[in-house]
Amino acid sequence: MGTTRRALLIGGGVVAAGAAGLAGRRVWLDREPPALPVIDRSGHLLWQNWAATEHAYPATRVSPASPDEAAHLLRTAKGPVRMVGAGHSFTALVPTDATLVSLDNLSGVLGHDAATGRASVGAGTRLYDLGPQLAAIGQEMPNLPDINKQTLAGATQTGTHGTGRGFTALHGGIVEFDLATPRGEVLTCNATSNPEVFNAARVGLGAFGIMTRFTMQNRPLTRVKKVTSLRPREELIEGWDDLQRRHRNVEFYVIPFSHWGQLITHDETTEPVRPRGPDTDTKGAMDLKQARDLFEFATPLRFWTADHLIAGMPDQVAIDQGWKLLSNERPLRFREIEYHLPRENQIAALREVVDAIERHRPDVFIPIEVRSIAPDDAWLSSFQGRESGSIAVHAHYKDDYQFFYTLIEPILRRHGGRPHWGKLNSLKYDDFAALYPRWKEALAVRDHLDPEGKLLNPYLTRVLRRG
Amino acid sequence: MRIERYGALLATVLLASCQAAQPLTEAQAAARRPAGAHLAALYDASCRSCHTRRDSGAPLSGDHTQWDARWAKGPDTLLQHAVAGYNAMPAGGQCATCTAADYTALIRFMADQRQ
Repeated sequence: MGTTRRALLIGGGVVAAGAAGLAGRRVWLDREPPALPVIDRSGHLLWQNWAATEHAYPATRVSPASPDEAAHLLRTAKGPVRMVGAGHSFTALVPTDATLVSLDNLSGVLGHDAATGRASVGAGTRLYDLGPQLAAIGQEMPNLPDINKQTLAGATQTGTHGTGRGFTALHGGIVEFDLATPRGEVLTCNATSNPEVFNAARVGLGAFGIMTRFTMQNRPLTRVKKVTSLRPREELIEGWDDLQRRHRNVEFYVIPFSHWGQLITHDETTEPVRPRGPDTDTKGAMDLKQARDLFEFATPLRFWTADHLIAGMPDQVAIDQGWKLLSNERPLRFREIEYHLPRENQIAALREVVDAIERHRPDVFIPIEVRSIAPDDAWLSSFQGRESGSIAVHAHYKDDYQFFYTLIEPILRRHGGRPHWGKLNSLKYDDFAALYPRWKEALAVRDHLDPEGKLLNPYLTRVLRRG
Repeated sequence: MRIERYGALLATVLLASCQAAQPLTEAQAAARRPAGAHLAALYDASCRSCHTRRDSGAPLSGDHTQWDARWAKGPDTLLQHAVAGYNAMPAGGQCATCTAADYTALIRFMADQRQ
């Protein structure tokens, strides 16, 4: 009897200590990452990107107010000269210890043509400002990305995209741009004027010069109905092809460690306006985080909890102009890897990615995003020459993300994927050269415009110059 | 005498409760703008996109119910959070040309605190 009681006490103590240890581990892992100094030893202010994956202490920060000013700056400034939009790229496109260029003084709708549906727009215009400005002239961009904080230049230079069969990424709408180059010129580029620069620099990583203005092919304002619903995961995966045919814009998220997914569709409608309600995605993600925190090492319990939390949740419907619904607020900071795969490989790759996460990464809780993008002809576009299906994996900003490179990226590469230029990847010059048929032609154009390599920081040197 | 004293006390409490901060609406937050052209331009290009939208998770510009506790942390802490990031606040607040003095002035404006 005494032995039994002692065993029970010891057993209870072990369980309690284990639970306390797990709770303590979670508290430790959830601490705010250490902050970088605001000012460095030379007195320069910190610049850091949105995801806190990259930082720098630029000696000079400038915001040219005209194309000529931008060209003069490029000719005279100390390199590396790097352009920054909203800092939403996860990759090291921006860091420089020399000259950081903001395009905030080159923004706004500069003119428009109602007959052609085109608008001339300052390259530094933030997408959230562009929506209402275009709406005021009866136009809208054909599609928008999930987040709309970016500048038009930053978004298009990195191949930022939305979703929808037949809808190109944002740069697909560019019919002309003005580019200030390190040679001190301002080139107007379109399909017939400087066509090689138009093709090479449209998605150009800010490595060809400073984009100062775009002419965008827009379309008349549309009213869309946005429906967000939770569906069985397998129904979404199996039905993906059909969903793309049935809806104008469609994407879905696989909710890891559950049997569910979230479907988001946008379709044109004449129904009365029903403004979008408050954001519920953030709370949903935090609920998934809580399930992760509690059941990280009890996968069956985590599935059971998530399935019971999700089942029966009602659809959300909003009806409004497209620019008000297609993008979302994302207050939850995260790190992301996204690859664009040949459309026919997307679902096979997705199944492998989800399986790998659920076998090896119980710390992942942010849903896996699945979208589709139409082909275009920009030489460095991730969608160049092929219809693409994208897969994006996220990690909370306090969580480890090295598994992107060791677990996720090999799968996406094996299926022929090209990485999103603004999202995390480990590729270098030779890898990109093998993925882009016009790679060398594009880099020849770049080298002609920037013979001294003034626009190359260490990351771009690794990507754009053979090691 | 005692009644007068209690009356004065009651009036003070009522006055204080009347003056207690009220949450702002998004429209009220969006209507605010810094006075100077330089600061207004920086604010328009960066802070405004989140600090006028409740869904962003950022405290609404001018909303004392959200800012007062933050303001109490002191200017150095708030500057550190603005420049280096903190929770949902992205480092630099998407302002690439703001100086430390600009950040301090923008924080003061959004917290609705006088110089």
